[in-house]
Amino acid sequence: MSTKIFAAIDVGSFELTLKIFEFAGKNKMKEIDCVHRRLDLGTDTYFDGKISNEKIDELCRTLNEFSDRMRAYKVNAYKAYGTSAIRETENTTIVQDQIAQHTGLKIEILSNSEQRFLDYKSLASRGENFSRIIEEKTAILDIGGGSIQLSLFDNDTLVSTQNLLLGVLRLQEYLNRFAVRSSQAESLIEEMAMAQLMIYKKLYLKDREIQNLIVMDDYVSACVVKKYGSNAMLETADYAAFREQIRSGSTTQAAMSLGISEEKVPLVFISAVLVERIADLMGARNIWAPGTTLCDGIAYEYAEKEKLLQGEHDFEKDIVACAANISKRYMGSKKRSDTLESITTTIFDSMKKIHGLGKRERLYLRLAAILHDCGKYISMMNIGETSYQIIMATEIIGLSHTERKIVANVVRFNHSRFVYYRQQTDQSRLDRDSYLIVAKLTAILRLASGLDRSHKQKLTGLKATLKDNKLILTVENQEDITLEKGFFEMRGEFFKEVFSVEPVLKQRKIF
Amino acid sequence: MAETDFKNPKYYANRELSWILFDRRVLNEARDKSIPLFERLKFLSITASNLDEFFMIRVASLQDMVNAKYDKPDIAGLTPSEQLKQLDAAIHQLVELQYSTYNRSILPQLRQNGLQVIRQHEELTESEAAFADKYFEENVYPVLTPMAVDSSRPFPLIRNKTLNIAALVRKKDEKKEMEFVTVQVPGVLSRIVPLPSEGKSKKIILLEEIIERNIHKLFLNYDIVSAHPYRIMRNADLTIEEDEAADLLKEIEKQLKKRQWGEAIRLEVEAGMDKRLLKILREELHMEESNIYKIDGPLDLTVLMQIYGLEGFERLKSSGHTPQPVPELPAGCNIFDEVRKGDVLLHHPYQTFEPVVDFIRQAARDPEVLAIKQTLYRVSGNSPIIAALALAAENGKQVTVLVELKARFDEEHNIVWAKMLEKAGCHVIYGLVGLKTHCKITLAVRREEDGIRRYVHLGTGNYNDATAKLYTDIGLLTCSEAIGEDATAVFNMLSGYSEPLVWNKLSLAPLWLKDKFLYLIDRERQYALEGRPARIIAKVNSLCDRDVIAALYRASTAGVRIDLIVRGICCLKTGIKGVSENITVRSIVGDFLEHGRIFYFQNNDRAEIYCGSADWMPRNLERRVEILFPVDTPRLKEKLLHILESQLRDNVKASVLQADGSYEKVDRRGKAMFHAQENFCREATEEARNSDSASSTVTRVFIPETHR
Repeated sequence: MSTKIFAAIDVGSFELTLKIFEFAGKNKMKEIDCVHRRLDLGTDTYFDGKISNEKIDELCRTLNEFSDRMRAYKVNAYKAYGTSAIRETENTTIVQDQIAQHTGLKIEILSNSEQRFLDYKSLASRGENFSRIIEEKTAILDIGGGSIQLSLFDNDTLVSTQNLLLGVLRLQEYLNRFAVRSSQAESLIEEMAMAQLMIYKKLYLKDREIQNLIVMDDYVSACVVKKYGSNAMLETADYAAFREQIRSGSTTQAAMSLGISEEKVPLVFISAVLVERIADLMGARNIWAPGTTLCDGIAYEYAEKEKLLQGEHDFEKDIVACAANISKRYMGSKKRSDTLESITTTIFDSMKKIHGLGKRERLYLRLAAILHDCGKYISMMNIGETSYQIIMATEIIGLSHTERKIVANVVRFNHSRFVYYRQQTDQSRLDRDSYLIVAKLTAILRLASGLDRSHKQKLTGLKATLKDNKLILTVENQEDITLEKGFFEMRGEFFKEVFSVEPVLKQRKIF
Repeated sequence: MAETDFKNPKYYANRELSWILFDRRVLNEARDKSIPLFERLKFLSITASNLDEFFMIRVASLQDMVNAKYDKPDIAGLTPSEQLKQLDAAIHQLVELQYSTYNRSILPQLRQNGLQVIRQHEELTESEAAFADKYFEENVYPVLTPMAVDSSRPFPLIRNKTLNIAALVRKKDEKKEMEFVTVQVPGVLSRIVPLPSEGKSKKIILLEEIIERNIHKLFLNYDIVSAHPYRIMRNADLTIEEDEAADLLKEIEKQLKKRQWGEAIRLEVEAGMDKRLLKILREELHMEESNIYKIDGPLDLTVLMQIYGLEGFERLKSSGHTPQPVPELPAGCNIFDEVRKGDVLLHHPYQTFEPVVDFIRQAARDPEVLAIKQTLYRVSGNSPIIAALALAAENGKQVTVLVELKARFDEEHNIVWAKMLEKAGCHVIYGLVGLKTHCKITLAVRREEDGIRRYVHLGTGNYNDATAKLYTDIGLLTCSEAIGEDATAVFNMLSGYSEPLVWNKLSLAPLWLKDKFLYLIDRERQYALEGRPARIIAKVNSLCDRDVIAALYRASTAGVRIDLIVRGICCLKTGIKGVSENITVRSIVGDFLEHGRIFYFQNNDRAEIYCGSADWMPRNLERRVEILFPVDTPRLKEKLLHILESQLRDNVKASVLQADGSYEKVDRRGKAMFHAQENFCREATEEARNSDSASSTVTRVFIPETHR
């Protein structure tokens, strides 16, 4: 039978979710079961630093139920991800191990950028609707328990993405701590949020006009979907009317009219205030809350990987666009980046047999090429280190922490001395596999930047062929490439060391 | 003009008094000479067991309220003590009618038909008396436990609902005071004892008469001054009735000390009981005069059910109806294949319940079925469904069963087989906190060629193969994706997970169901106001929810034609000017217990029909998990509408609620007789026969079985 059953588990800050998906044939993704159970891990993590034993026990109990259910559906594969509550707890590894011992489930930890990327993929699982909306100027507001993520889209591509510590549970905890009266709550949420949002506006939004706001959260979206359906585009006025429902009346009344449990009302309230403020700040006219969740993204990612789904949206493009925007912010040269990107990928592609790396590593290389000189914004002297620091401090949506580290290191070693595996210091230590990737990609990037030493893009139309133990790079032009040739030989040393392949530069002058 | 206050108590009838009217309608069946004699016995027995239950639950509950000084008026504006007062009169009247029916009509006719019931042991002939005495010594004496009351022995605990004989005795040859003794008529022995008879006619005597006759053998050194049977009913319900308001619960908690658990609330004694004996009983049991029933005839008429079981009187019973095969689901078919061809509607007991049992059985065996989930409220003893579920679990399927332990009177029974299911590896959920799970739903998840498919059975009646032969119910078998998704969500919620974002088709109580009904009723009202076709037909067991009734009144004043088929309690009043002129209420009491709930809304000629497990009672809509499901297939909608229309046409078993609150049989002058239940039997038989002959032409070809 060609159908595949996949289970996605989200160990969130506020809720545990299991979704079962069925893939019956190409591009047929269907949710067949979905269960949620409330479990507030977030409060433990954010304010005590650790998840209590009682919560772990409850977590394991529920995960065991999940695993029973998965067994019943005979799932072919599953992915279980923990988000910020598990990620930020002090004893993450111990928690992971306890879960594995008690339930047999392997919980992987998502970094914020990976999580947001999956959230964002969950939107893409909505296909057409999503593609249509992001053709206009669109912002995605992804509200989590600990933080929110704001991403801007223009013309089908991601422009910027930024994380702000304005998560619903976090704000709620402050409100509890300050013993806020419910009548004050709204203005306090607004004050806390606006302080950060104004900075955001200054730095990222500037005068950009946003038409659509896509909202993703586990709180207000559910209510919107319940009331208007998951495909409804709400005009801001409609949304305001909806908001009014939560504002007026008691918690019990709100719970009744929204059809949710009372304990969830304050969280929905905070989320709703955030949505309203941000829509206002951006001047958005339409709000879309499709109610998709991380689990949808997890399934989408699995389906992409297993080639069960042919997505319309090119996510790699988003990651690259995101890197390009970082480079732009630090005055990187687009032309140089483009040249480097093209040279590195040419070399990479011709060397497939030798380096044995795949599509994902190719993406790292592209990102490293784009970000190769961002550090010069801080210091022209120490580009390697400063670039490394910038990349490590900037989120690149869709990359895990380890992946970001790989990219940062490739950029770093392009400029500074390569640090071998055994020489690594604790701070920037890489595991063996990552280390090898870094070495290989560094070798390629070094060679490539040697080829564009003059920054004059003399080597356009470069061709690469692998012959015996030689990588023959041919350029067809009439430029003087003495400088390039010189650096090429110098930089080729490391390449030779890593691949045992000698790079040779040939110029074929065409008259 | 100001809008009428549709919630004014004067527009409502008290539910307890309405219930008495229902029992009265059942009694009418016992009085109906056109019904076979033994069937009448059965109806009379039912009125008695109904009344017992009513006492234990409803009267006890009212008594609690009075004791707790809770005096909030009911829907009709009566306080609990006012209700008790009115009930008192009504019940006494009902009991009188029960016994006059028994004595004046049934007994003589039994005799005419060859069955003589000896009323008093004094009527026995000598040889019969000798037989009775021998029977006593051999069979009865060993199991009797006589108890005496004196200064060292307090008044014994007389068990609820048991039949006892009280006697006054005096020590032989002494002129001392009389003593009180009591002995329970043993429940382990049959209460009817056939006497040896010659010729065709049979004679029976009741066990208590034999004991009474021989009671001196229990107290050898005493003279028996007088001996009479009696029976008590206790407030034995340890839980607060779910029907009552939450504020009552608080009240009672406060007054807990004052509440006397298990206090006697009814005393039945033989008419003509020795006054001294009665006085002792009254004082010891703290009975008020109004709660004493002096009965001219055998106490506890449920004994008539045993008489009904006597052999040799088949000619005096109705021939009965054999539940017919369902044409869409012939015996031996693969239910999954058939349901995939289209939804199947089942109408029990006219059609057999077997396909429902088969559905679960096949699911248990089918290798492609991954999971079976079911709610169980009341099941029969030795239920084939339980066996199938256990088998499924043993076959490695995920089986989830919600067992409602709070099902009244069935608690102990339910625990036993719930444990059994657990042992077999089923995941058993023992009900939900604060809610009774009353919905009837089964889900089988099956892995098929093109993916997961969910098969769902939704019903209006319990998964009980025994009662399915007596209760009229509707069932729907479907594999509609929308309903399947909802069914999964229902079970997820029952397993303690959060509610899904959206429901496709099903409406659930206590979440949305009441609102849904109010919405549907109001929609008809809107159409009526716009001058469009607007009509409601609803068939329920009870109607006593104030909001629903008010909505119906409002719709009626807007011109919606409303026809209600309410078997039991109905707090709605018909024929009130400016309130309910467009509403009719009829009740059908027949051989089968009307049980299905069907709701028809004309909806501007885009009719919608729903079936469900919920009555229009506050407890169903607010304190139970219930499901209302739409039937969408045009063919099945027609079938349901036909069922409703047939019942509206009935002029044999239907009684119509009058403006004065009484029920009258339909006036059928000038009309042909139409008996809906009989008609359904006929239709089901014909349908089965037609499909049988259709398929038999096809099966003239032998089909070799190939290996599977």
